[in-house]
Amino acid sequence: MQSFKLTLLFVFCFTLAKAQIKISGVLKTAKGIPVANANISLKSSYDGTSTDSTGRFAFTTTETGMRILQFSALNFDKDSVQVNLDHGNIAINLTIKEALNVLQTVSISAGSFIAGDGKKGAILNSLDIATVAGSRADIFAALQTLPGAQTSFSESGLFVRGGSASETKTYFDGMLVKSPFNATVPDQASRGRLSAFLFKGTSFSAGGYSAQYGQALSSALVLESTDLPEKTTTGISILTVGGGIDQNIRFKNSSITVGGYYYNLSPIYSIIKQNHDYVKAPEQLGGNIQYKWKTSATGMFKIYASYSRTNLSLYSANIDTPSVPKYFSNHNLNIYVNSTYKQYFGDRWKLETGVAYNKDRDAGLMTINEYSRQDHLLEGKVTLTKSFSQLSNFKFGAETFNTGRLESLNGLSRKYDDQVSSGFAETDLFLTDKIVIRLGMRAEYSSYLQKYNLAPRSSLGLKTSAHSQISFAYGRFYQNPEDEYLIIKPLGFEQADHFILKYEINTPDRNFRIEGYYKDYNRLTKLNNGTPDNTGSGYAKGFELFWRDKKTIKNADYWVSYSFLDTKRNFRDFPIMATPSFAAKHTVSVVYKHFIESLNTQFGGTYTFASGRPYVNPNNPVYLADKTQSFNSLSINVSYLTHLFKQFSVLYLNVNNVPGFNQVYGYQYSANGLNRQALVPAAKRDFLIGIMITIGDNTFVR
Amino acid sequence: MKNLTNSLTFIFVLIGLNSCFAQDINPKFTQAIKNGLDQVATAKNAEDYIKAENYFERIASVETKEWTPSYYAAYCNLYAGFNTADKDLKDQYWDKALQEIDKADALKANNSEIYALKGALQFMKMTIDPRSRMYFINDSAESLEKAKALNPENPRIYLIQGQDTFYTPEAFGGGKGKAKPILESAVAKFAIFKPANTIEPNWGAESAKALLTQCK
Repeated sequence: MQSFKLTLLFVFCFTLAKAQIKISGVLKTAKGIPVANANISLKSSYDGTSTDSTGRFAFTTTETGMRILQFSALNFDKDSVQVNLDHGNIAINLTIKEALNVLQTVSISAGSFIAGDGKKGAILNSLDIATVAGSRADIFAALQTLPGAQTSFSESGLFVRGGSASETKTYFDGMLVKSPFNATVPDQASRGRLSAFLFKGTSFSAGGYSAQYGQALSSALVLESTDLPEKTTTGISILTVGGGIDQNIRFKNSSITVGGYYYNLSPIYSIIKQNHDYVKAPEQLGGNIQYKWKTSATGMFKIYASYSRTNLSLYSANIDTPSVPKYFSNHNLNIYVNSTYKQYFGDRWKLETGVAYNKDRDAGLMTINEYSRQDHLLEGKVTLTKSFSQLSNFKFGAETFNTGRLESLNGLSRKYDDQVSSGFAETDLFLTDKIVIRLGMRAEYSSYLQKYNLAPRSSLGLKTSAHSQISFAYGRFYQNPEDEYLIIKPLGFEQADHFILKYEINTPDRNFRIEGYYKDYNRLTKLNNGTPDNTGSGYAKGFELFWRDKKTIKNADYWVSYSFLDTKRNFRDFPIMATPSFAAKHTVSVVYKHFIESLNTQFGGTYTFASGRPYVNPNNPVYLADKTQSFNSLSINVSYLTHLFKQFSVLYLNVNNVPGFNQVYGYQYSANGLNRQALVPAAKRDFLIGIMITIGDNTFVR
Repeated sequence: MKNLTNSLTFIFVLIGLNSCFAQDINPKFTQAIKNGLDQVATAKNAEDYIKAENYFERIASVETKEWTPSYYAAYCNLYAGFNTADKDLKDQYWDKALQEIDKADALKANNSEIYALKGALQFMKMTIDPRSRMYFINDSAESLEKAKALNPENPRIYLIQGQDTFYTPEAFGGGKGKAKPILESAVAKFAIFKPANTIEPNWGAESAKALLTQCK
């Protein structure tokens, strides 16, 4: 009997211990919206459940005592409450807080256009840039289809929001590139030297950019190089204008790429009639070598070095004495070295250092005058970034570069040298995941100008919904006057203030943005009786629209940009405030790409329109009051993916200005003002055919 | 005394039935994983997979030395992504899966199964926006190579590679023709594959066969 009692007691205790407690309730956000598929669990036990579509949950447990009830869900912060399981069933309503969603977090975006591989905020990727019809994989030509940039074919470079080409600076892994363009022919734009395929990310900023970047009044083009290639491969390209070969060698934690190319335009010039009469069509020989070393899980060392030589000579029409065409020859030599090292320390600190060197030499004959010009830049830079809280960071650094020019004409030479040293500090402060403020300051000293400047930068981002945001930026920007003026005498810094307001909606497949801006230019370089000073000024204002859609048409991707620009300036040799010849009031670009799977072919088309540009007519008493006809261009490209000799290959065709629109950039007048000639592209139509073969990899990726 | 013995026996039977005082924790854990796998087997949509994932997460939070709960949580997220149209959500499921797979890797270093699943996830991350995420192809290939180096007999590696190749357009180096030999080796390796125990990964044999028949 005794033992029976004992048994009963045991059984009783046991049953008590195993008594099932039911925990139930509803999980909602602070706003009362039910959260579905959340995980509800009792800490240190398997017990728990998932909420249903109305946020309800119910589960049973045999645990006892004070326990912790945890709840979590995608895009919500994990949270918990204490529950007492000793007093029967529990009904509890839980509230969960929304978490930071990195994809939907506000970003610094005013003025900028980011093209990157999988990067947050990226609107385009490197391949998008490379495959714009008409651009022939030239970064600068492709960027002309983005809002803010002008179409330009008679001068190299990017003309951004009323700024001249010299106001856009190119940065390669954070280092300033002094001479990013190939040797030029008079009145013709030339290609960028850096291949689009070197880079995984391109950030094109039309204003309001970070304090990290100096010496640019209008625009910063920030190029970020690729990391280690996946495999050892060989690439061969054969084009109607020449060919190239490169070899990637991949080691465990490092890689070497060696490449060389030779271009000769004379065969194609014999087919496509050129406006100039070439004695020697452009011929270019060059090579480059790259070494990348992943020093640790978070460290990367890179060095890129390139060398190129170009020769050309030609006769161009002489408007003053048509019987004696003007002779021009150019032998160009360009050397570029860029070396950077990046390393993270812990999860809070990042160190970036770099050294870059650039030398660009032009020499030849202009009519009968012997000229030479040599530009150089040697730069060192260090940046430290400290991240704090979840998203914010603080960045500071210093850079110094030695730059200058040496030029001569018929044996008479002159030169200048400048040491520009700068320091910068900047913070991206996320007040919440919906509000971000960037505050930055940049200080520069130029030894040649013997002047300091102090440039504040600021930017604000405000998330208005999951996919939309408003941004505002203000910044002051300084740059040294162009070399051609500095070599005459030291001047002061040129200055621009940017005010930018932007609204954007971004979804994975569609982007819309509208951006308005006002730019105030001061202390621009102006020639007074042939002597430069800093009395120039000007303004630019306008707005831009951009729309990109990858979804509506299957396998197709298109974007449309519109830019409205109202600008006037009084600089260089302008007698009055006037709209410069590089500024068109309206610019429209439409880029379309369509991949047809059954043909393994991508078709692309780019249409560009620009309203007439002003030009100087000496017969008109009002300066820059005449306008050219509007500009139209339609280019197409076709890329056929196939296998040649069992190797992955692309057959490529690009035709510029298919309908043969008459394109006039401006006019040159004879000294007496009686005759004029139009500035037109080198050829009315232009085509390029190429084959690119990749050996050692059967996929498209290199 | 006899009564006492009877009582004790009774109690032990009860204990046995309830198994809550079990000394060895493994049977309970093993059973829990099996229950989870049953949930996975009957999952029909993203919601079902998320619920199963929640379940594995709960086990993972208790069994902090076991890698399989995190592995299966990642697996559930992979399939939740497959069954979701929204690209943002796909991205989030697969990001979470990658975190879970890293967690599994931290608990069990150099496991072929973990790297195979990681390779599958990285490939899927690429498919969300292939043009701008090509670098994920490299990551995926690296993970799968590592999985192969760790255990070349793991059939899931070949299933995943076969799947990836199957769904990659011919123009980009994929296609049925190229997938066929890979899937054949997957099927062959599935035929002889023996999992280490009843809860370690043993999925994919049927998928491999089904995909292979589509290759003709």
